[in-house]
Formats: sequence, structure tokens, C-alpha cells
Amino acid sequence: MTAAVATLMIGVILGYLGQRSRMCFIGGVRDFILVRDTYLLKGLFAFGLTAWLSFPLADVLVGTRSGPPGMSDIVTLGLTVAGGFGVGFLSTLANGCPFRQHVLAAQGARSSIAYLGGFMVGAVIFHTAIAPLLFRLLP
Amino acid sequence: MLTTDVSPPAALSRRSGAVHVTAAQMGAVGGVLAVVAGAVFDVRPPEAYGLCMACHARDLVNWTLNDLAGTHLTVAPASVVFPVLTTVGVLVGALVGAARSGEFHWRSAENSLRMFVYGALVMMFALLAGGCAIRLLLRTAAGEALGMSGFGGLIAGVTCGTIWLRWRATR
Repeated sequence: MTAAVATLMIGVILGYLGQRSRMCFIGGVRDFILVRDTYLLKGLFAFGLTAWLSFPLADVLVGTRSGPPGMSDIVTLGLTVAGGFGVGFLSTLANGCPFRQHVLAAQGARSSIAYLGGFMVGAVIFHTAIAPLLFRLLP
Repeated sequence: MLTTDVSPPAALSRRSGAVHVTAAQMGAVGGVLAVVAGAVFDVRPPEAYGLCMACHARDLVNWTLNDLAGTHLTVAPASVVFPVLTTVGVLVGALVGAARSGEFHWRSAENSLRMFVYGALVMMFALLAGGCAIRLLLRTAAGEALGMSGFGGLIAGVTCGTIWLRWRATR
């Protein structure tokens, strides 16, 4: 329950800031390639930098960190890279990362609301059809 | 397709009272809050799970379906008792921001079906990679090798997508 309330509050804060700043986590790279605009790219770097600094700080202050992430096999690595590529490519075509689409939907963009509908259906399809299929096909 | 607002600061609402936030400021706050959610508020396991639009949306949808329809869809350990509500929070926060600055307008959707398909595909690829753009970056910041390779794939995907859009626009 703590996690639910905390994520709701954090979501409200980030949703508000994301609406005011037009932050998009894939738009930075896109804008830089297209017009050498670094506004969104700075946001991407700021997120990565503060998270990178906060992780060890949280370890010291809270003192809770499980061991290093387990070793992963080549299949998992391949699926992760392919998944990342798919997210990047399709998000660029859809004109915004999932976070940006949530913000646009809240601003009244009906196309982003349709996107969110697909987002929810996609989660159910993945866990009912695709994940079981992958488990059966892959070693 | 190339209708993106590429110079956001100039396009920001200048309405009096509208709070001005830069992307760098938002990113810095987001990075801290994502770590705080995981370390302080127990949004875990898995590790580096504090902020993710895809996984958290999946948790909410699957948990609700499991609860209502008695299905047994996958939910992250952090969301077993009660689902994380990041996506709801972002929608509420953005709605408040848009309403207060006069930026809320219903916009028509001529390509709803295509966006619906994009949404479904992005969710599937995100679940395959174990995170949306935000969580892949968060895992990279946490020093997870798998997250770094996923983030590398993401950057490659955005680069290819952008080049593809530019090629199609100038053809």
C-alpha cells in the first residue's frame, strides 16, 4: 500500500513537471538528430545523472540494496536489445515516449488516448500470448 | 508525421501564472524521485523499479483484471498486494498542469487506429526489454549491464526511427 500511495504522489509530481516542461525521453535524441536541439536531451542526461548519483546515496542513507544483478544469458540479452530497439523505433514513429503520451492524453490529445488504449491491450496480449509463446520457443 | 514541436521553450505558454519548468529540471527531479521510490517506499523487487510507464501500467491493468476476472496475469512482486499507481498519478498531474496553464484542449485524432497499434506494440517491446525508455535509463544508471544494453538498443531504435522519418519526409 505504501508503494501505491508513494507512486501516485510521485506520478502527480512528475506528470505536472512533465506537462510544464514537455519532457520526452526519446524526443531528446530525435530533436538532436533532426535540428541539433538539445533542450530535451538535457532532460535525459539530467535524469540519468541524478539517478546515477542517487543510487549509491540511497544505499548509504537507507542501507538497502540487494546484491549485484544476476548474470544473464545471451537469449535474455538479445531480447532486451531487441525490445529496446522496438521501443525506440516505434516511440519515434508515435511521436513520443510512453511518458509523453500519458501527458499528451491528459492534455486532451485523442490520438494519445487511443495510444493508451493500445498500451493496456498490449500488456494483456503480451502476458496471455507472447510471453508463453516465447517460453515455449526459446531454450 | 514531422509535426513535432522542436523548440519547446519558444512554444511554452506565456500565460501569466503558468509555471515554467525546463526539461533538465524535470529530469533531475525525476531521477531523484525514481530512486527514492525504490529505496524508501519499497517499490521493489525488481531493482530499479521506481519509475516505469510500461511496467507500472502493466501491473495496474493485470492486477485489476486478476482482481475482477480472476485471471492469473503476471504482476511484478512490488505490485502483488496493491498495484503501483504511477500512470494514474502522471495523468492527474499532467491534467492539473494543463488545466492551470490553459493548455488543455481536445484535439481530434485522425490516426487513432495507428496510434492504438503503436501503443500496443510499444508496450509489448517494452515488456520484452523489461522497461520503457525511463526504466531502461534508470537501470543503466543503476549499473545493470542488461539495462545498459537495452538502453543502447533504445538509442539505436530512436536513431533509426528519426532517420526513417526524415527519409520519408524528404523523399
